[in-house]
Amino acid sequence: MATNSIKLLASDTHNGLAGLVSKRLGTPLTNVAIKRDSNKEVSFSIGESIRDEDIFIIMQIGSGIVNDKVVELLIMINACKTASARRITAILPNFPYARQDRKDKSRAPITAKLMADMLTTAGCDHVVTMDLHASQIQGFFDIPVDNLYAEPSVVKYIRETVNIDEAIIISPDAGGAKRAAGLADRLDLNFALIHKERARANEVSRMVLVGDVTDKVCIIVDDMADTCGTLAKAAEVLLDNGAKKVIAIVTHGILSGNAIKNINNSKLDRVVCTNTVPFEEKLPQCPRLDTIDISGVLAESIRRLHNGESISYLFRNATL
Amino acid sequence: MRDLIVLSGSSNPQLTARICKQLGVPKGEVISSKFANGETSVTVVDSVREKDVYIVQSGCGHTNDNFFELLIMISACKTASAKRVTAVLPLFPYSRQPDLPYNKNGYSVNGKREFDSSPGTPIPNSTTNESTDYLTSSIVKDTSNDMRKSTLLNQPVPTPAASSSSSLLINNTEDTPTYKEWIAQSGTLVANLLTTAGADHIITMDLHDPQFQGFFDIPVDNLYSKPLLQHYIANNIPDFQNAVVVSPDSGGAKRAIAVADQLGMSFALIHKERRYRKLINPTTLDQSLLISSTITPSNSNKVIATTMLVGDVAGKVCVLIDDLVDTSYTITRAASLLKDQGATYVYALVTHGVFSGDAINRINDSAIDKIITTTSTPQDGHAKQLGTKLEVLDVSRILAEAIRRINNGESVSMLFEHGW
Repeated sequence: MATNSIKLLASDTHNGLAGLVSKRLGTPLTNVAIKRDSNKEVSFSIGESIRDEDIFIIMQIGSGIVNDKVVELLIMINACKTASARRITAILPNFPYARQDRKDKSRAPITAKLMADMLTTAGCDHVVTMDLHASQIQGFFDIPVDNLYAEPSVVKYIRETVNIDEAIIISPDAGGAKRAAGLADRLDLNFALIHKERARANEVSRMVLVGDVTDKVCIIVDDMADTCGTLAKAAEVLLDNGAKKVIAIVTHGILSGNAIKNINNSKLDRVVCTNTVPFEEKLPQCPRLDTIDISGVLAESIRRLHNGESISYLFRNATL
Repeated sequence: MRDLIVLSGSSNPQLTARICKQLGVPKGEVISSKFANGETSVTVVDSVREKDVYIVQSGCGHTNDNFFELLIMISACKTASAKRVTAVLPLFPYSRQPDLPYNKNGYSVNGKREFDSSPGTPIPNSTTNESTDYLTSSIVKDTSNDMRKSTLLNQPVPTPAASSSSSLLINNTEDTPTYKEWIAQSGTLVANLLTTAGADHIITMDLHDPQFQGFFDIPVDNLYSKPLLQHYIANNIPDFQNAVVVSPDSGGAKRAIAVADQLGMSFALIHKERRYRKLINPTTLDQSLLISSTITPSNSNKVIATTMLVGDVAGKVCVLIDDLVDTSYTITRAASLLKDQGATYVYALVTHGVFSGDAINRINDSAIDKIITTTSTPQDGHAKQLGTKLEVLDVSRILAEAIRRINNGESVSMLFEHGW
């Protein structure tokens, strides 16, 4: 009988991340069916009893279909709630609408807050996410939010693939300086910053480099890469300033719009993303893309959450 | 009008423009776009501070995008100190809830699905049944059919053809009933999401289930297009007293009967029997039992859905009345059945013409002679493809009058009976 065990739910079974997490936990994905009707509404059913179980819904949100995925997630959460699940945890490695987190002009919506309200209303008891654009978003919720970090996995990747002696960490904008500086400290590396004057959203203007990158392997670190215009421009600035080569490591590789074209035309040696966002189908189009697998972190956090253990160990240490 | 501002979502700007024209107010300016990654961005240009805000958004087109846009707009207005935010949803999104009939054994989930989870469950003799209408296509296409099949087979078929039914049906007892499937019922969720976003009031039209109002903790004004439809019948159908109002399925019977009563017309009903049985020889079908049948070919089994007409339509003009046409399977099948039964001319009156997928082509090829719908969803594209077969009634006056009355704190109920 039901004994409050882990139940993993995912909307798409070709969904790579959920499969990886399920494999790591040794727990098969729960049998569910999602149907998208011709009028684009979503219907959902769960094929086994989840009464009194500990539910974890893994939702990877790719670019272009954000609203569809969010509604899908809300319906899934609500279905679990009404089916008497004991606890529902939404795992949103890439939190949607995270960038609309403040009222930056008159009558602008704070959509991140709206997202938080929506998740709570649907019946979510716990949220697990990764590298929130602004960690203050946790405060929008009345339920616990665990913000995991990709940093340990990134540190591991850098140690394994880059010659540390000639590397330098770069923050592509002032907002990400803290994140980049933290990583530089972890790796005991130097740190430089690119300051940009942004004209409009998704558009890049003039860039100024602060720091010395001569003959260095530059590692640009950011939390998300959308159209990759900023990264490409930053790479140019760095190479103009005497850098040897430029690698970009981002947590959320949203890679929307002309991103692939921008990367292919850029002077970036490599663009490394974690698999928080599904971008497998883009890999063949762009040989410069590389992946860091963070399914281990998610799987371990699920295990710890389920058993009531501390999560904070994962903030500093990567899983194998 | 004082303190009133009407904003438009991107689903149906033409309707909003007409509503604003009726109200004599300029349309509030909203810029809605999408970020490169597909997230919706909304900018409310006009000030909404201490105003009575009405946001018009229909649940059509890309429903989820439009719904989310609405939520963001409501939230933006609320945080921008609007006095009251009213969501005007001529077609309510997610108003059709899957209500597959349960049987005592529950549903088998041993079905092959489009998005099957691992480990997949292999199923012998799985039928691939083309989904033919919303209900069967809604969630469990094959699995529920299997289940219904097996239960049907265990009972005698209560028809005159019962004696020959053994030759029609072969046993299929390989499916063992397992856990009853849990199906998401998104109605309450959608209601709560709107309330949470900050909506203070909802205006909608011809809700699929009137019970939907009860899901909300805020007032919901459900308007009716019935007066408009009655007006159309009385003025545009020659000799309408001798025509027959037909409901294309049993669920809509109440709606259709109300129109028939009001106009003193006779009434007929089409009953969809969603029974699935295996056929050995389709030619032995008893014609009195199966007036019309859809035979879906599959490798080994024949799955048939039968539709039955209750009432007489021979030599008459028929008026099909329904609240919503989406894939148009139900209504086109109903029309062909009516023609088979001797109807001379078939009108189809539907409030919400969504016409998704191949619906337009299906209607063009169907026995429907004239389809009448309303502007609750955008019809410009459909009008081009359907030509004179389509007529569009304008609901903007009803909605505008409701907005005016709600803004003034007057009663809305007069609109229910008399329209505008």
